[in-house]
Amino acid sequence: MAMHGMRGLSIFISDIRNCQNKEQERLRVDKELGNIRNRFKKEKGLTPYDKKKYVWKMLYIYMLGYDVDFGHMEAVSLISAPKYPEKQVGYIVTSCLLNENHDFLRLAINTVRNDIIGQNETFQCLALTLVGNIGGREFAESLAPDVQKLLLSSSCRPLVRKKAALCLLRLFRKNPDVVNVDGWADRMTQLLDERDLGVLTSSMSLLVALVSNNHEAYWTCLPKCVKILERLARNQDVPQEYTYYGIPSPWLQVKTMRALQYFPTIEDPNTRRTLFEVLQWILMGTDVVKNVNKNNASHAVLFEALALVMHLDAEKEMMSQCVALLGKFIAVREPNIRYLGLENMTRMLIVADVQESIKRHQAQIITSLKDPDISICRRALDLLYGMCDITNAKDIVEELLQYLNSADFTMLEELSLKAAILAEKFAPDLSWYVDVILQLIEKAGDFISDDIWFHVVQFVTNNDDLQPYAAAKAKEYLDKPAVDEKMVKVCAYILGEYSHLLARRPGCSPKEIFSIIHEKLPSVSTTTIPLLLSAYAKILMHTQPPDQVLQNQIWTIFTKELRYESCIDAEIQQRAVEYFALSRKGAAVMDILGEMPKFPERQSSLIKKAEDAEADTAEQSALKLRAQQQPSNALVVTDQHPSNGEPLPVFVGQLSVVKAPNMNNTEDHSSTEQVLSQENGNLSQVDQQPPSADPLSDLLGPLAIEGPPGATVQYENSAVSGLESGPDVVDGSAIVPVEVGTNTIQPIGNIAVRFHALCLKDSGVLYEDPYIQIGIKAEWRAHQGRLVLFLGNKNTSPLVSVQALILPPAHLKMELSLVPDTIPPRAQVQCPLEVVNLRPSRDVAVLDFSYKFGTHMVNIKLRLPAVLNKFLQPLPVSAEEFFPQWRSLSGPPLKLQEVVRGVRPMALPEMANLLHSYRIAISPGLDPNPNNLVASTTFYSENTRAIVCLVRIETDPADRTQLRMTLASGDPTLTFELKEFIKEQLVSIPTVAQAPTPAPPAAPPTPQIPPNDPAALLTDLL
Amino acid sequence: MIKAVMVMNTQGKSRLAKFYEYLSVEKQQELIRGFFQVLCSRAENVSNFIDAESIFGLDSRLVYKHFATLYFVFVFDSSENELAVLDLIQVFVETLDKCFQNVCELDIVFNYSKIHTILDEMVFGGQVVETSSSEIMKAVEEISKLEAASNAISLIPKSASGWRSR
Repeated sequence: MAMHGMRGLSIFISDIRNCQNKEQERLRVDKELGNIRNRFKKEKGLTPYDKKKYVWKMLYIYMLGYDVDFGHMEAVSLISAPKYPEKQVGYIVTSCLLNENHDFLRLAINTVRNDIIGQNETFQCLALTLVGNIGGREFAESLAPDVQKLLLSSSCRPLVRKKAALCLLRLFRKNPDVVNVDGWADRMTQLLDERDLGVLTSSMSLLVALVSNNHEAYWTCLPKCVKILERLARNQDVPQEYTYYGIPSPWLQVKTMRALQYFPTIEDPNTRRTLFEVLQWILMGTDVVKNVNKNNASHAVLFEALALVMHLDAEKEMMSQCVALLGKFIAVREPNIRYLGLENMTRMLIVADVQESIKRHQAQIITSLKDPDISICRRALDLLYGMCDITNAKDIVEELLQYLNSADFTMLEELSLKAAILAEKFAPDLSWYVDVILQLIEKAGDFISDDIWFHVVQFVTNNDDLQPYAAAKAKEYLDKPAVDEKMVKVCAYILGEYSHLLARRPGCSPKEIFSIIHEKLPSVSTTTIPLLLSAYAKILMHTQPPDQVLQNQIWTIFTKELRYESCIDAEIQQRAVEYFALSRKGAAVMDILGEMPKFPERQSSLIKKAEDAEADTAEQSALKLRAQQQPSNALVVTDQHPSNGEPLPVFVGQLSVVKAPNMNNTEDHSSTEQVLSQENGNLSQVDQQPPSADPLSDLLGPLAIEGPPGATVQYENSAVSGLESGPDVVDGSAIVPVEVGTNTIQPIGNIAVRFHALCLKDSGVLYEDPYIQIGIKAEWRAHQGRLVLFLGNKNTSPLVSVQALILPPAHLKMELSLVPDTIPPRAQVQCPLEVVNLRPSRDVAVLDFSYKFGTHMVNIKLRLPAVLNKFLQPLPVSAEEFFPQWRSLSGPPLKLQEVVRGVRPMALPEMANLLHSYRIAISPGLDPNPNNLVASTTFYSENTRAIVCLVRIETDPADRTQLRMTLASGDPTLTFELKEFIKEQLVSIPTVAQAPTPAPPAAPPTPQIPPNDPAALLTDLL
Repeated sequence: MIKAVMVMNTQGKSRLAKFYEYLSVEKQQELIRGFFQVLCSRAENVSNFIDAESIFGLDSRLVYKHFATLYFVFVFDSSENELAVLDLIQVFVETLDKCFQNVCELDIVFNYSKIHTILDEMVFGGQVVETSSSEIMKAVEEISKLEAASNAISLIPKSASGWRSR
C-alpha cells in the first residue's frame, strides 16, 4: 500500500495515538506540520517518495480535524507523477483537501484529461475518481465527450466504464447540457442492455438523475427497466458475486424501481402488466427471516416496491395489500422494519381510499409511540399526526397528552405542538379543545409557544357559551400550588374577562377570584404583571355593588403596596396609573373596561405553521422524489430572486394572498412581540377607537394573531377584494373555453382532456407546449388542499417574464407562492399553491400563465383541478345510519329531486364506478330495488365544516338515457351544487376523441346560475 | 446521493471521514461530534436510523451500524433507500474483513490509505459504483499489485504500536 515502507508515517500515527490529551495531540500535529512546511519550502531534494509520505501525513492530520492550508500545490503536482503510487496519492489527497472551486484544480485539468484519454486503465480510474468527486463546471465543459466515449466503449473494461458512468453523472449535475447531444437517449437505452452488473448499476444511477430532470426524453428506457427488474426479481438471473445473502443484487433492484418512479405513468398495458406481476411477486414473496442482513436486503427491495406501487396508483386491492403488509411490519420485532413500516404508512396517507384501513392499525401505532427507540417514536408521532381527523382526534390527542408525561425530553416540543394543532384542527367540541390546551400548558408549558394560548383566548372570546366553562376551568388550574407562568397568563386573562359569569358559584366571589390570582403575582415575571393588573381592574369593575374592601386592596396594589405607580417598567406603570384613575370613576368605566370585542375569524397562525411544516413532509414523500435528484436548478432561481417577502405587485389586491416561501419563522416571532405590545397598549386605545367600525381596526386590535401588521393588512385587503369584487373575479364557467388567443405556440395534447383527467386523479400534466410543461401534484385534506405546480422548462435557454396569476372563484381562497420570473434551462420550478374551500360551489379556478420565449409571448389560461369532488371524502354508511338521516332531511331546499334526461347510457356498475371516482361511496344493498343506487359522501368546506351528503339514483332498465336523482344534505347550497355536479358528470363524459386544440368544455345541460353570484350572472349576459 | 461516510470509534475519535459535498474542516468536525453525541446515547437492539436533519440539514438521513469499537455511519438524501444503505455498510465491513482477516480498529488506523481505496471502489462521488464485495476486492488487489511493483509491500502488522515500543 501507499504507506508501506513509510516508517515515518507509522511512527507519526503511533505518536498521535500515544498522546494523553488533546493538547498533546495538537502540539505533536503542529510540530509535524512545521516540519512538513519546512521540507516543502526547500523543494530541492524532495523525492516523490518524500512528497508522498508528507502528503499522507497531511491527510491524516486533516482527518483528525486540523486545517491544512498548505501543501495543496504539492498534492496537485503529484498527480502528474509518472509512477502509480505517487499519482494515486496525488489524486486521493487532492480530492479530499480541495473543493471544486480551488484554483489549483484548474492547473490539473490537462493532466487529468491526458490520464482519461490515455491507454493506462488504472490511470483512467484515478482520473475519473477525482473528477467524479470534485469535478466542477470547467471539467464538465472540457471532459464530458471523453468520459462519454469511455462509458460507451466496448473495448474498455467494466471497471473503467462503471466509473465513467458516474463521472458523467457528476458532470451532468454541473452542466446539464453535457447530455444534450443527438442520440444520447438512444445510447442510454442501449446501456441498459449491459450484462455486467457493475456497469448496469452505475448506468442506472445515471439514468435516475437523467429521468428526474426530463423523463420524456428517456421514455424508451422504461420498458428496459421493467425487463431488468423482471430479470433480477423474478428470474433471479444474476452472477453469483452479485447475489447478496441469496437476493439478486438488491441494490440494483432498488435503483431500478427508483428510476421507474420518475415516469409519471406507464401507458403501455403490457409493460404495466409485467411490472405489476413482478411487484406482486415481490410483495408476496418476502418473509421475515432470522438472518438480519438477509432481512434488511429483502425488505429494502420490498419497501421500494411499495413506494413504486403507491406511485403507480395501483388498483385498490393492491393498495389494501400494501397497507396490510405495512400493518404487519409495524408490529414485528425487528426495529428497522418497524421504523420503515411507520414511515411508509405515513407516506401512504396521501393515497386516496386507504386512510380507513390505516386507521385500523391505530392501537399498534400508539404502542410504537411508546417505543424505547426515539427514532421509532418520531415516526409514530408523524403518522398519528398525519392520520388524525375528526373521527379519531379525541383518542389520538388524549394519547399524546398522556405520552407527554413519559416522552423523551427532546421530543416534548414537537409533541406538544402537534397535539395543540390537532386539537385545534379537529376539536369535536370547543370545551374539549380548551381542556386539551390547558392540560398541554400544565404538562409542557415551557414548550408551548405563545400563539397557542392566544388562540385559546380568541376561541373563548368568540364563543359566549364557552366562557363560563373556561372561567371555571381557569380557576381550577390556578388553584393548584405550582403553576406554569403561561398558565398564569391565560387563566388570569380568562378570569379577568369572564369570572363574573361564575359569581354565584361557591368559591367564585370576586374577592376569592382576586386572591387566587394575586397569590401568583410574586412568582411571575414583569411581562405577566400587566396581564394581572388588567384582570384586577376588570374584576373590580364587575363587582357591583362595589366591594369597599376589595377596592382598597386593589387600589393599594396599583399605588402603594407594590409601587407599580412608580414602577420602572413603563408598561406596568402606565397600567397601574390608568387603572387607578379609571376605577375611581365608578360605573362610568363599564364601557371602557368591558369585555373585549370578538376577534375576526381567520386562520390561526398555528395551523398555518403546521401546514408550512407539512409542506416539508409532503415534499419528503412523493414530491421530494421529483426534486431530489435534480441539480437544484430551482434553487438557483430562488437565489436570483431572494424571497424578501415582497409579493409581485401584480398580485396585490387581485387574489387572496401571495405568500413568499419561508418567511415564517421571523414572522411568527415578530407576531408574538407584536401581539404583546398591541395587547398592552390596548386599553388606552379602546375608547378612541370603537371596535369593528372599520374592518381593519380589528387587525390592529389586541391579539392579532396573524402576523406583522403589513402582511396582515395586505392579507385582509386582498381577501376582501377577492370576495367582493364580483365582476373582477373570473367565474369558472365563463372562462373555461379560454383560447390560446394570440399565441402562436400550439399546446401538446388536449388541455380539456388533461384537465378532466386531473379532476379524477391528483397528479399529472396540466399543460404542455414545446417550451414548457406544467405538472400538478395535489394533496387534499378535508376543506384544504395543497397543490404544487411544477413548471418545467424544456429548452436549453431560459424562459423569462414568467408570470402566474390565480383567478379564484369566490368560494375558494388560494395562495400561490412566489413564482420566479425566470426558469433556467432544463430546470423545473415548484410552486406550492394552497387552497381553502369556503363553501360549496362548482365554479372553477383559473391559472393565468404567461412567459416569454425568445420573441414569443405566450399567455394561457388554464382551469385548475380544484373542483367540488376534491373536497369530498367517500363515506360508506349502513342502513341504520342512512335511513334516519334520509328521513330527517325532508324536501327542498335540503333535499332536491330531479329527473335527468339525455344521460349517457351506462350499466349500473359503470355508474357506480363513476360516482366512486368522484369520491362518492356506494352503499350496496341499501335500496331494495336493484336498479337503484344509494351513495353517500362527506363534503368539507370552511363554512359548512364536514357535512354528510346522501344520494339516491333510480334508473330505468328499459331506458338508460334517463334517471331520477335525489340529493340530500344539511346545506341547501351544497345539495343544489352537488346535484348539478353529478348531473354534469352523468350527462357528458369527456372523451379523448375531442379536438386536439382546447375544446370548449361541455356546457352543463341546463346552465344553472347560482342565484347569488353576480359574476355568474354577468358572464351569462356576455 | 450519499453525502458522507464516517467511521468513528466509541470514544468519538474519527477513523475515516469522507464528505462528498465540500465542507470546511471545522464543519466536518462539528458534524462528527454532533452525530457521536446521538450515537453514543443509543441503546443496543434499537433501529439503525437516527434523525439527521437537525444536525446535517434538510433532506438528510442517517444509517449507522455498530461493530465492536466502531460506528460506521452513512449520511445520504432521500434518493437512497435506507435499508439498501444499511446493506452497503455491511458490504463495506465484509470487504474490510476479507482484506484484513478479522478487521479491527487498529487495522483501520494504520492502513487508512487502504480504507480510502476500498471506499473509493465502492462509493464514487456520492454514488454507489460497486456492491459486490468480491468485485471490490479484485479492484483493490489490482491496485495493491501496482503499488507493489514500485515498493516492497507488507501490511502494517496489527501490533504496530507494540512494535514501536519495542
